[in-house]
Amino acid sequence: MNVIEVSGLTKQYRSILAVDDISFTVEEGTIFGMLGPNGAGKSTTIECIIGLKKRNNGLVDVLGLDPAVDNEKLYNIIGVQLQETSYQDKIKVYELCDLFKTMYDTPTDYIKLLERFELSDRVKSYVSELSGGQKQKIAIVLALIANPKIVFLDELTTGLDPNARRDMWQCIKELKDEGRTVFMTTHYMEEAAFLCDKICIIHDGKIIAMDTVDGVVENSDIDMEVTFESKKDVTELLKKIKNINNIVKNNESYTVYFKDEEVIGEIILVLKDNNISFKKLNINRPNLEDVYLKLTGTKWKEID
Amino acid sequence: MKRFLKVVGIEIKLSARDFSTLFFALVFPVMMLLLFGTMYGNEPTGFNGGFGSVDVSMPGYICMIISVTGFMSLPLTLAQYRERKILKRFMITPVKPLEVLLSQLIVNLITTLAGMIILFVVGKIVFDIHFFGSIFQSILAFFLILLSIFSIGLFIASVSKNAKTANAIAYIIYFPMLFLSGVSIPLQIMPKAVISISKFLPLTYAVELMRGIWLGGNLGDYTSQILILSAITIVFTGLSVKLFKWE
Repeated sequence: MNVIEVSGLTKQYRSILAVDDISFTVEEGTIFGMLGPNGAGKSTTIECIIGLKKRNNGLVDVLGLDPAVDNEKLYNIIGVQLQETSYQDKIKVYELCDLFKTMYDTPTDYIKLLERFELSDRVKSYVSELSGGQKQKIAIVLALIANPKIVFLDELTTGLDPNARRDMWQCIKELKDEGRTVFMTTHYMEEAAFLCDKICIIHDGKIIAMDTVDGVVENSDIDMEVTFESKKDVTELLKKIKNINNIVKNNESYTVYFKDEEVIGEIILVLKDNNISFKKLNINRPNLEDVYLKLTGTKWKEID
Repeated sequence: MKRFLKVVGIEIKLSARDFSTLFFALVFPVMMLLLFGTMYGNEPTGFNGGFGSVDVSMPGYICMIISVTGFMSLPLTLAQYRERKILKRFMITPVKPLEVLLSQLIVNLITTLAGMIILFVVGKIVFDIHFFGSIFQSILAFFLILLSIFSIGLFIASVSKNAKTANAIAYIIYFPMLFLSGVSIPLQIMPKAVISISKFLPLTYAVELMRGIWLGGNLGDYTSQILILSAITIVFTGLSVKLFKWE
C-alpha cells in the first residue's frame, strides 16, 4: 500500500522552478530516500508534501489526505524533523517535550522516547547544551511524540560526526522496524545505501533516477575497474582481452575499464600465463556515489 | 485552550529566564524611579502644577515598561523564533501559527503588568505615590498605549530579516524615545529642538495621555493623543499583517 503518492508536483518561486513535475510513490513501512545536491529541490518537495508550502501544480496524497487542504489533520499523524531547526533560548529538554505533547490529540509518552534515545539523563538540561547528535535525537523524539505513521527526516545527519551518524542510522532502522514509513533526504551516499529501500535522485528540480539502490547502480552504465601495478609494460597483452573498454597506464600502475565480470578473471589469467608479477590488485565496482556524481554532473572523471 | 495555556505558560517561564527582559522591564524603571525620586522628592511643587514630582513621573515609567516589552522583547523574540525556524516548526504541529503570535503578546502583557506592580509597590512604600484619576479610564488608556506600542513592535519583527537587525532597530527606537519623549526627563526642561523632535515620537503621546489620566484628567480631554495612538495601532497592525513572514 502506498502511503505517499505524488504526481506532477511542481513548485515555483518567482522565476525559479524549484520542483519540476515530479512523481513518485512511497510504500508503507519502507524507507524512501531523496538524494540530490544542495538546492536540488529536496526540502521544497518535503515542504509541499507536508503542506508547509503550497504547490503550484500536481497531486499529493499523504495517508489519504491532501496536505494543501487537510494539513491540520495531517499534523496529528505525521512527524517531521526540519532542516536546521533550533529551539528557544533556555528551554529545557522536558519542557520542550511537554510543550509538544500538549499539541497533539493522541501523544505518546515522551519519557519512554527519551529513554530509548538515551537522553534520560539530559531531561533537565537546556536543549542548547546538548551535543549535535543529541539535538538531532531530540528532533526525532519531537517528531515521534505524535506517534506518527510517517516520519519525515530532512538531512538529519548533516553536520554530525561519523559515530553520531552511525548512531542515527540505527535510530532510523528502528523506526522502520516499528512499522513506520520514513521519508528522508540526505547527502550521504553510504547512508542511503545502508538505509533506503528505494531512492530517488533529484537534480535541478527533476527526478533523474529512481529505483532500489542496487537497481540505480545497475542501470547506471558505469564501468567496473581493475587496478594493479606491474614493472613490465603489459598494455599489449591486456589489449587482447575481449570486452575491455579502456586501459590507462600511469607509470607502473594500470587501470582497466570494462563492464563484463568475466574480464576480471581473464586479466589475472593473462598476467599469470605470461609470468608477469603484479601487486596491489583492486577491483572497483561502481557504487551509489559514482552514480550520483555521474548523474548530478559534479566531478565525474573522464574515461577515454 | 489547554494547549494554548501550555504554550503561554512555557513562554512565560522562558522570558523569566531572560536577563535583559527582566532587567529592562522589571528593574531599570524602578532604578529610574529611585534615582529621580530621591533627587526631587514627592512634595507638590509649582513646577509640576501642584503635583509631586514622583506622581508626575509614574505614568512615564509605565510607558517605559511598555516600551521595553513592546519595542524590545516582542520583536526580538519573534525575529529570533523566525530566524531559528521555531515558528516554522510550530507550523507543522496542530498548533496554529497565530496562537504562537498571540502567546507572545500575552507573555509581554504579563511582563508589563509585573513590571508595573513592582513599580507601584516600590513607589508606594518609598515615595507614597498618589493616583488622582479614574481607574476605568486609565485601564482604557493603558490598553490603547499597549496596542499602539505592540503594533510598532510587530512591525519591527516584520521588517527585520533576523534577530540581529531586530535588536539594532529596537535599541535605535527605544533609547532615544527614553530621553526625548518625556518618559524619564520632563519635556518642560528640554530645549525647543528636543520638544519639536518629541512631536514625531509615538511615545510622547502615550506619556501625555497616561499622565493626563493619572493626574485626574478625562479621556475626552485627550482626543488628539487618542486619535494619534489609534492611527498608529491601525497603520502598524495593518503593515505587520501585510509584511510579517513566518519563515
